[in-house]
Amino acid sequence: MSHDSSSPDFLQHHFHDVDQQYETAKLGMWAFILTEVLTFGGLFVAYTIYRSWYPEMFVGANLLLDVNKGLLNTVVLITSSLTMALAIWAIQKKNQKLSLLMLIATFVFAFMFLGIKYLEYSHKFEVGQLPGEYYSYMGPEIAHINNPHIFFSIYFIMTGLHGLHVAIGMGLIAWLIYSTAKGNLHSEYYTPMEMIGIFWHLVDLIWIYLFPLFYLI
Amino acid sequence: MSEHHITPLRTYLIIAGALFFLSGVTVWVSYFDFGPFNIVIAMGVASLKATLVALFFMHLLWDDKKNLTMFVMSLMFLAIFIIVTLLDTNFRGGVNSETEYPINKRAAFYDSLPLTDTHGHPVDEHGSDHHEGDEDHH
Repeated sequence: MSHDSSSPDFLQHHFHDVDQQYETAKLGMWAFILTEVLTFGGLFVAYTIYRSWYPEMFVGANLLLDVNKGLLNTVVLITSSLTMALAIWAIQKKNQKLSLLMLIATFVFAFMFLGIKYLEYSHKFEVGQLPGEYYSYMGPEIAHINNPHIFFSIYFIMTGLHGLHVAIGMGLIAWLIYSTAKGNLHSEYYTPMEMIGIFWHLVDLIWIYLFPLFYLI
Repeated sequence: MSEHHITPLRTYLIIAGALFFLSGVTVWVSYFDFGPFNIVIAMGVASLKATLVALFFMHLLWDDKKNLTMFVMSLMFLAIFIIVTLLDTNFRGGVNSETEYPINKRAAFYDSLPLTDTHGHPVDEHGSDHHEGDEDHH
C-alpha cells in the first residue's frame, strides 16, 4: 500500500492497529465456527442415538449409497480445500494472479461437489429412497433392513445442511474472486480470504466425518 | 501484517497428499469386517484427517492459541452433548419399564411389507394399531 503505514485505508477506526483488527476478525470467525460445530452437533447426536438404537439399520442401509460417488466427492472437496489454502498462500506471497486462479479452481471444485451430490439425490428421488413417510423403495437390498426411511431422514438432513454450506461457500468464494480481481485484496490485507478459507475448511472437515458415517460403516 | 506466518507450499502439498491417502485407506479398510471396531477405525481415520485440516489448512498450529482453545472447547461441548443424551436414550426403561413399538408406520412400504421389529421378528399389527401416529418411539 502506498498509504502511510500507520493508518492504511483498510484499517477501521475502532481498531488500534492492523494486527489487532486481523486477530479480532479471526477470533470472531472461530466463535462462528464454534456455533457451526454445535449446529451440526445436534445432527451428529441424532445419528449417534439412532445408530445405538438400531445398528443393523445403518449397517444395512449404507449399502444403498454409492461409495464411489462418496469417495469422488471426498477427493473433490479435499482438492478444493487445498486450492483454497493455496489461494491464501499465493496472496501472502504477493501473487494475486495465482491467488485468483486458485479461487476459481476452488469454486469449480465446489460446483463439481454439488453436481455429484445432485446425481446422487436425483437417483434417490427416482427410486424413492426418501426421508420418513415419503420412502417407497422396495428393492431386494432392503429385505433385511428395518426402517430404512429413518436412515434416509438422517442422511438427507445431514448431507442437505452440508450441501447448503457448500452453496453458501460458493457464493462467498465468488465474492472473493470479484474482490481479488478488483485488487481489493492483497498481501497486506486478505482478512476476508483467510476467514472464508476457515469456513471452507470447516465444510471439508464436516464432510470428512459424514463420508465414513454414511457410506462406509 | 508482516509477521503472519506463511506456511510453505511443501507443507500444504504433503498434508493434501496425506488426506488423499487416508481417504483411500478408510475406504479400503471398510471392505474388511472388524466387527465393532469398524466404527472405531473409521472414526479414528476421520479424526486424524480432521486434525490435519484444522492444524494446517485452518492455520491453527501457528495461530494464537485462543483460537485453538475455542475450537477444542466446541468439540468438548459436543462430546458432553452426545454423552449426556446417550445416558438418557440408552438407559430408558432402566427405571420405569417401557415397551418397544415400531417407528413411524406411515412410510409407504409398510403397506406392502409385514411389520417387523428391529430384529426382523414379525410384529402383531392389530395389537399395536391404537399407537398409530404415536411419535414416541420407545
